[in-house]
Amino acid sequence: MAFEGFDATLVTHDLVQDLKWDPELRARFEVDPTPVLDGYAFRPEERAAIDAADFRALYDMGLHPYLGSQLARLMYGNAAGPEATKAVNRLVASLTGEDRPDNATAT
Amino acid sequence: MGEIVLSVAASHAPGLAGLYDGAPEETKAEVDKMYGTMAAEIAAADLDVLILIGNDHLANSRVLEYPDFLVGMAAEHHGPYEWYQEWLNCRDYTLQGRPDVAEALIAGMARRDIKFFGRRSNLFYDDNLSIPTVLCDLDTNAVPVVPVLTNCNVPPVPDQRQCYAVGQALGDLIRNDLPDGMRVGLFGSGGMSHEPGGKRYFFIDEEFDHWFLDMLEADDHERLLDEATPERMEESGAGGTAELYAWFVVLGAIGSRPCSRLGYTAYDNFKCGVGAVRWQMGN
Repeated sequence: MAFEGFDATLVTHDLVQDLKWDPELRARFEVDPTPVLDGYAFRPEERAAIDAADFRALYDMGLHPYLGSQLARLMYGNAAGPEATKAVNRLVASLTGEDRPDNATAT
Repeated sequence: MGEIVLSVAASHAPGLAGLYDGAPEETKAEVDKMYGTMAAEIAAADLDVLILIGNDHLANSRVLEYPDFLVGMAAEHHGPYEWYQEWLNCRDYTLQGRPDVAEALIAGMARRDIKFFGRRSNLFYDDNLSIPTVLCDLDTNAVPVVPVLTNCNVPPVPDQRQCYAVGQALGDLIRNDLPDGMRVGLFGSGGMSHEPGGKRYFFIDEEFDHWFLDMLEADDHERLLDEATPERMEESGAGGTAELYAWFVVLGAIGSRPCSRLGYTAYDNFKCGVGAVRWQMGN
């Protein structure tokens, strides 16, 4: 099940929502994520997983997959086409441990 | 009493806008057929309001305080929300709302022991409302819309039976609480099989999608309610396929009706099975 390990209290959920809803915060995140991330009370292992873009670890901690997909787009690009496709492939590569080209458009 | 004069349901995959140009010609033709048919029928229905039951993809609420049903009460609905614009790559739109109908839904569902939350300010709309709007020309045809956004993936999710029961209450409300002569349309927006954010992001379960459409055309609600379980939805796309529970709200509202599929296509890069149906209303 997708939500067996879902943990609604994970602070990363708030990070993703804030970045979506606050364009000024998002602009600062795009320039330098570190000071933005420093403003959140993540668990140490949670912060380490974000810094490493380790989505597998974040999912194991309880990150909601849909917000995981949006975090990937916030990290790698959000525009329809090559940017969002790259984000999808980086996310899937992290989850499966398999190498994937950034431009793959199928399983 | 109000009357449900039109009922349709369709997928709202974001790629239908942003990735359409790169899709195979046969896929484009199928998309054009499905959404073009719905656009023409909605325009011809002379609706006083279209109640669009679509999925909220964690766009409006934090997971710690998540409503199962959230009604857009604004006098105008603007979209897509800023962050989704480049992702969807569709036109900006403004839809006329119906705050009076939105208020009637919230009050009337409460009288039927069902909690509908509401927001008077503009909700944040992603593909849930944006895709049906731009593909069915709801904005250019000035169709008044009340969006009802459903929780499809923040546990615990209202399942097929709960959504069907909500639909039954909604149908009763439309027929008994809304003004005499009000022409109401219903649009179920979501699905079909997909797994957003999961390991199987590009997976489309065509066999499931066709089974689901077959069940609708067979008008076999009991079998659908027995078999379209959360577990079955998860097998066909974790966290995504259950968007089809929005269609169950429409099913509950209209009851047994002849149903026809308007089309179906499975294109990997859409990352979602895309289908649409129309129910025959009236005599």
